[in-house]
Amino acid sequence: MESKAKGGGSSAGWLLILPLVLILVPFFIVPIIGVVAASFVQSDGFGGIIPSFTLDNYKGVFTSGLTYQLYWATLKFSVFAWFFSLLIGFWIAYFLVFHVRNPLLALGLFLICTVPFWTSNIIRMISWIPLLGKEGLINSALIKTHVIDQPLDVLLFSSLAVVIAYVHQLTIFMIVPIFNSMARIDKRTIEAARDAGASRFEIVRFIVLPLCKTGIALGSIFVVSIVMGDFFVVKVMSGGGSASVVGAFYEDIGVLQYPTAAASATILTVIVLLLVVGILRTVDIRKELTR
Amino acid sequence: MAVENGSIELAGIVKSYDGTTRVVDGVNLRIPDRAYCCFLGPSGCGKTTILRMIAGHEDPTHGEILIGGHDVVGLAPVERRTAMMFQSYALFPHLNVRDNIAFALRVRGVGAQERRKAADAMIEKVRLTELADRLPAQLSGGQQQRVALARAAITGPKVLLLDEPLSALDEQLRVQMRQELSRMQRDLGITFIHVTHTQLEAIAIADIVVVMEKGKIKQAGPARDVYDQPQDRYVAEFLGGQNVLTGRIERIEGDSAIIVSPEMRDVVVPLGVRRTASAGDRVDFAIRRDDVDLVRPERGGGERAKVPSRVRAIEYQGNFVKVILDKIGDDELIAYVPDRVFYRDPFSVGDVVIAGWEKDKTRMLA
Amino acid sequence: MIDQPSADANPVPVRRRRALAPSRDGRPWTFYVLATLFTLYVVALYGPMVCIYILSFQDVRGGLVFPMRGTSLHWFVDLFTQVRTGDVKGAFSRSIRLAVVVTIITVVISFMSGLAFRKRFAGDSVVFYLMIGSLVAPGLVLGIGVGLICNVLGIETSWYTTALGAQLSWTLPFGVLVMFAVMSRLNNAWEEAARDLGASAWQTTFLVIVPILAPGLVAVALFGFTLSYDEFTRSLLTAGSLNTLPLEIWSMTLNVTSPSLYALGTVTTLISFLIIGVCLGTIARIQKRRAVGPAAH
Repeated sequence: MESKAKGGGSSAGWLLILPLVLILVPFFIVPIIGVVAASFVQSDGFGGIIPSFTLDNYKGVFTSGLTYQLYWATLKFSVFAWFFSLLIGFWIAYFLVFHVRNPLLALGLFLICTVPFWTSNIIRMISWIPLLGKEGLINSALIKTHVIDQPLDVLLFSSLAVVIAYVHQLTIFMIVPIFNSMARIDKRTIEAARDAGASRFEIVRFIVLPLCKTGIALGSIFVVSIVMGDFFVVKVMSGGGSASVVGAFYEDIGVLQYPTAAASATILTVIVLLLVVGILRTVDIRKELTR
Repeated sequence: MAVENGSIELAGIVKSYDGTTRVVDGVNLRIPDRAYCCFLGPSGCGKTTILRMIAGHEDPTHGEILIGGHDVVGLAPVERRTAMMFQSYALFPHLNVRDNIAFALRVRGVGAQERRKAADAMIEKVRLTELADRLPAQLSGGQQQRVALARAAITGPKVLLLDEPLSALDEQLRVQMRQELSRMQRDLGITFIHVTHTQLEAIAIADIVVVMEKGKIKQAGPARDVYDQPQDRYVAEFLGGQNVLTGRIERIEGDSAIIVSPEMRDVVVPLGVRRTASAGDRVDFAIRRDDVDLVRPERGGGERAKVPSRVRAIEYQGNFVKVILDKIGDDELIAYVPDRVFYRDPFSVGDVVIAGWEKDKTRMLA
Repeated sequence: MIDQPSADANPVPVRRRRALAPSRDGRPWTFYVLATLFTLYVVALYGPMVCIYILSFQDVRGGLVFPMRGTSLHWFVDLFTQVRTGDVKGAFSRSIRLAVVVTIITVVISFMSGLAFRKRFAGDSVVFYLMIGSLVAPGLVLGIGVGLICNVLGIETSWYTTALGAQLSWTLPFGVLVMFAVMSRLNNAWEEAARDLGASAWQTTFLVIVPILAPGLVAVALFGFTLSYDEFTRSLLTAGSLNTLPLEIWSMTLNVTSPSLYALGTVTTLISFLIIGVCLGTIARIQKRRAVGPAAH
């Protein structure tokens, strides 16, 4: 049935959207512009700026070997975090949608998974200490059962710990959109595939996976942008062993090197936006979300 | 400018969304006050669009809509003294039955006490008194429909518009609710306009049946007229119960035509609407399926048309047996034989029979 | 699945039953694998936090790791009374107040934006991508930007102005996205029915749309509150001199080495759970009453 809602032209639309724009502009657009602007000025070394246009900051960033090291490290973390959170998140969502028969139970289990999201990130990070630390539960358990003699150093304050922390924090970002996409799949298509003789793995490969593309894309956007923009998880979980891009320019701020920090920040933002745009090209997010 | 009564006139209504395809293509119709009018047609024929234009949820591209003598195009729904009952009922899920029904009064600023009284009175009328505090999700389909009806009727509209109100119900419930609608219409004493794609439903309750195809009205009139005297092939086939056959006029005899086709010889059909036809013209004519008699070849004879044929399929339908014979050209030839008659000497698939009918029962189509 | 016993050409190869056949009570073996994965995941999810909760109940001899030493509320008391652990009470109250304000603003603006996006309007794609941009932009970058601008303009950053705005840049996109999902289930018919019965645009919005969408609005409120309450990166450089709770916790992690930190973790989580419980409970109650779904027929 055609439902052409009458009344209220596009002026009503604009009026309704105005508040959103009025917040996003000063707190997203303007700061970005500010950062970009600051990246082109010179620092006087004492926290002040000499108003003159210069590309030195960018030159400094691009020529510094540290930059590439940091990006390499951050990208590595991103990839690992993305891969494992996707792997775990996909199968958890699959389990909830296709194996749990009672929809209420599925919803309940889903909520159980999301609850930690609603708690403080930082608290969750310090909570790794009693678990993964040298005197932590896991090491104690392994020693008690004689699997190892010496406590494993690598569980905490290492790159492994960073990845574990990321995956722990970010899997939920994969589960939610993928769960959403999967729940929309008409179960009868699966039944029809079974009827035709497809094995369950084939069904996942040929039906479920393609139909979850949007969910995976959405989840990936979240994961990538959070990891690339993070600094405290890396700082804490690696015990200072690794640094990240954001961590580096956070340090710069600390020593009042605003322009270099700004240049670094701009480059990072551009890269993150490019990555997100790249992911968005693979799916039409707007259509999916408003369906 | 108050709408005084529920008579409706549609004058030259055209509706097009994109300027090229016309969803409604020139509709003229008069519906008297207090009539039960059914718009009948397949999906996409424009019937729902017309309903929504009468309601005021869409505007016609051209034409006038008069309710009670006043042109209402451009008026908001509430100013037209019309009320609509939606296909999905659209009951507000967060309000109970009473509040749903009282909603129209609430938005008009009627006080709480008065609202309650009026709503309760309406609830009595639709016999839902014990369910007044329930939420829509706790009601059955038939009960929801009664709430939707009451909600629409409480404002005292002159015209009630129903958009496929029975389509969501299963067969038995549909028949039951049909009577409910009929009763309500008589009780309220207002015009009902009911859109449906089910022929039997339309002819069961409507005073006026309007058959539509592709945005145009093909025939409008009392149910019996439309069913028994369809004007053209489309109406005849849509209403069902008719055989529509094609042939060529061999010669004209008086006020009848003698029609032939590869499968038929000497079929006499009164000229009717094709008074100006002449020999050689191709014509369509209709003969009701229950007017077709089947006899075995040995018995045949008489004044009647005789078309030899073979039984292709037999379907038992309770009161009658549907015997499907070989096609005449591209047209189906079907006979409804009363079951008691059939079973005196039942045919089998493949039997050769002679289909016959009286000339006066045939009808030339436009 | 019937195994074809015939000898003639059967073009479809008969599959071995491994991945298909249900075993007992209709559950395939993959179910057990995935169920185990799920259980492990939930344990891993809650495990670390549970450790903290347990350890926060140690007595004065308590350390940062197991084994647990004694049971008492010592560290909770320590948390709220000892000045050296920072201004927890103050940060706490600031965070709560800020979260409430953020919640209200987020719900109202998300609702309005959701309504706006139902129809196309000039520039709607721009606004949409603006939102996505605000969501993915690294929080610290925005913080730097706000700090710089405020420096230039001579505005002071504070937790109830600039931090508020920074948090909104994070919660609003979430809120609008949730509204998208919620509104896609809003049937146009209800609005038309309301119009048909004579309701004005305002009446339709407040008497019909808002009540029907109430569970969705509560969900947005939940997002708004918890995202604000736990927000860190964007608040870091925009909160000014007084800390919000996450910022306070951050400085504590760098300085404090006692279980009072764990006690803080327990308390703050309790608050979160309380809010979640209230919101989800409200949603559940509303949904149950309305029994959305294939109800009676």
